[in-house]
Amino acid sequence: MAIVVKLDDLLHERRMTLTELAEKVDLSLANLSILKTGKARAIRFSTLESICKALACQPGDILKSD
Amino acid sequence: MSTPIASSAALPIAHGLLRILIVLNWLFAAAILVLLLFMPHEQWILRSFKLAPSPDADRLIAGLRAVAVLGVACVPVNHFILKRLLAMVASVRAGDPFVASNAQRLRAIAWALFSLQIVSLVIGCIANAVSTPAHPLHLDAGLSPTGWLAVLLTFLLAGVFAEGARMRDDLEGTV
Repeated sequence: MAIVVKLDDLLHERRMTLTELAEKVDLSLANLSILKTGKARAIRFSTLESICKALACQPGDILKSD
Repeated sequence: MSTPIASSAALPIAHGLLRILIVLNWLFAAAILVLLLFMPHEQWILRSFKLAPSPDADRLIAGLRAVAVLGVACVPVNHFILKRLLAMVASVRAGDPFVASNAQRLRAIAWALFSLQIVSLVIGCIANAVSTPAHPLHLDAGLSPTGWLAVLLTFLLAGVFAEGARMRDDLEGTV
């Protein structure tokens, strides 16, 4: 059972680009891209919180088990 | 993200010193080989060590030749260690020491040091076997607590580097 990042789907629903999200959460585009493509090994609670705030969602909306 | 470490003067010194040691190691090998191959006359050896011809002297000469052969055999091992240390110094200079390849290098160095300690034990045994009260042979070889401690520490350091490399990989993948 793998954890998958659903950031792409959320961005699509919110009609937001990765660049816009990067500006809102004060994270580099490169790091967000790593997260979006599932290449990240870990995510900080602070990052998760920032993304949740920016996308008005719950952590469970971003991370799902496959 | 790695950044070059420019401030430390120790690293260029270590780099230069290791390069010198690599050259000296092979010069040492050449010197022993010359002694072994071109100066095999027993009379010459007997005169050098102020020995009178006797069965004991013959055993001593055979022992010295065996030690010289083992000394030459150690040269590639020394080279193996020095080259890996040089690569590690280069990685530290580049600001990227905690990588899996350095852990592997340290583990390889630890095994090489282990083999050198075994050779040192063999040389100590040879020296004991050929040494007599009339012809005592004192060699800086045998059981060396500091040598074995160095082997243990290098294995430990290899483990530390492996763990450090794993943690760094994790940190690099943390968003």
